Amino acid sequence: MVQKRPDRTLGPGHDTFWNGCDRGELRLQRCTGCGTYAWPVVQKCEQCAADDLEFQTVSGRGKVVSWCSFVQDYYRGILPVPYDTIMVELEEGPMFLSNPHEFGENEIAFGMPVEVAFIACEDSAGRFQLPVFRKAKV
Amino acid sequence: MSYMSLFDVPTPARELAGKAAIVGLGETDFHRDYQAARAKTEGYEPPTAEGLAATAFERALADSGLEKSDIDGISVSFLYGGPDAASMAASLGLTPRYLNDRGGGICAGPIPVACGAIAEGKCDTVALIFSVATRSIGRKFGGQKFDSDAPSSYYYHHPWGWSSQAAHWAMIWQHYQQVYGASEADLGSVAVQIRHNATLNPNAVMQKPLTIEDYLASRYVVKPLHLFDLCLVNDGAVCLIVRRADLARDLPHTPVSVEGWGRASVTRDKMRTLVVDRMRPQYQEAGRQALDMAGVALADVRHFEGYDASTIHLIDHVEGHGFVDPGAGLEFCKGGGMAIDGALPVNTGGGILSGTYMHGWNHVAEIVRQLRHEAGARQVDGVDVSMFSLAQTDQVHPIIFRRGER
Ligand SMILES: [Zn+2]
Repeated sequence: MVQKRPDRTLGPGHDTFWNGCDRGELRLQRCTGCGTYAWPVVQKCEQCAADDLEFQTVSGRGKVVSWCSFVQDYYRGILPVPYDTIMVELEEGPMFLSNPHEFGENEIAFGMPVEVAFIACEDSAGRFQLPVFRKAKV
Repeated sequence: MSYMSLFDVPTPARELAGKAAIVGLGETDFHRDYQAARAKTEGYEPPTAEGLAATAFERALADSGLEKSDIDGISVSFLYGGPDAASMAASLGLTPRYLNDRGGGICAGPIPVACGAIAEGKCDTVALIFSVATRSIGRKFGGQKFDSDAPSSYYYHHPWGWSSQAAHWAMIWQHYQQVYGASEADLGSVAVQIRHNATLNPNAVMQKPLTIEDYLASRYVVKPLHLFDLCLVNDGAVCLIVRRADLARDLPHTPVSVEGWGRASVTRDKMRTLVVDRMRPQYQEAGRQALDMAGVALADVRHFEGYDASTIHLIDHVEGHGFVDPGAGLEFCKGGGMAIDGALPVNTGGGILSGTYMHGWNHVAEIVRQLRHEAGARQVDGVDVSMFSLAQTDQVHPIIFRRGER
């Protein structure tokens, strides 16, 4: 089933990220100088200001460091409330805001290990694969 | 939206300390106007930003005891649209030699900028006007349509349904609960305390006392954040008249001297800095700049006004500046530490949680009343140094004020 979602940010850099998702890969920018990973998409390395960044596929593993559940409908019905969002600290460093997949708010625990999964979605620009996080298989 | 990139705040410097003082304060009728806007009785005309601004200016001028001819500078901050400084000056009957249109919105910029202009001799007396008809124009916060030119990192996460300022505070609060073992009732104590302060302020929008039971029974907006964890939305205007220090003495009210300011921004890893670090490095850095410029220690601050977009954000300020240790803010509040007679009276006029949503200008207005010793039932006994701290999700701007001499 394809889920409707609010619009992605598209354009140079952003497209590379979403194209990776369509192939089942979570690809983030990495500074070729200092090795720092960036998310969301940046123009320059936030650590050393270099502008030589390349997309690299990351492990997709991380842990939940915070979460919240939207009760107020900010998207005027596009996304039915309530829905959960989680902040995942990826192994490679960046914080990634996403949704829990196949588990809910009552099962979320601080520090719980998760791994990326992709679900079929659609926004006003068309269909795409959205990276979400499920409980990590032990 | 990055307000502060709109203008250049003078670098904090000891020689700029105390060069100017607030000598006039004017506000619109926040409580009455809010009631009228909600009642929408027949014939109700929603206010305009310009009309509100004119009211605040006239009141500030009368309060200052000055004449229109004394006002030789004007700085306007119409957050959601309004006339430019020249048009506003003309409509108020002013002929200023210094005009600033780039007031941005929040006042942590315009006040130091005005002090800098005065110190440079560009003018002697500036009317700083802030006005918003936020409610009347039907502005909504959050959602896909955010009026930013570029996708801010905070509004990048739409496909996951992650939006709104409230969501930031919810993420911070969830993390805080996990790390420090705090409960919802603990955070509710902040909403209850600030509401209590508002009930002592006749012009506060919210006048009805709030109990912990009311708080816990209120709806979630973004769980774990309740309705009462979030600031108000209302219309209004504030005008401050800032005058060269040596000209500020022979006026009706005790001058409120602008002693120091600071600024620190989050430059990397914003979500980690916001949620995990709770911007403590930025509070520490900006606070140190302001305190050093003013030549005062943190312990000298007897009254604190923090930008309370949410209850947890206010605790971020109190802990971040170092008034209490990280994780100790809620116990401090529960123990009465933030009350009018507490160790650090905080947001004594009700802040933006319960007072009026004037984007920080209301906090400075409250500081003016406190340092004049004209705050009535909520007067902090003998207060002589107040600290204002403005922080958005990625920057911190404190200002130190001192009770002046007449
Ligand atoms: Zn780098």
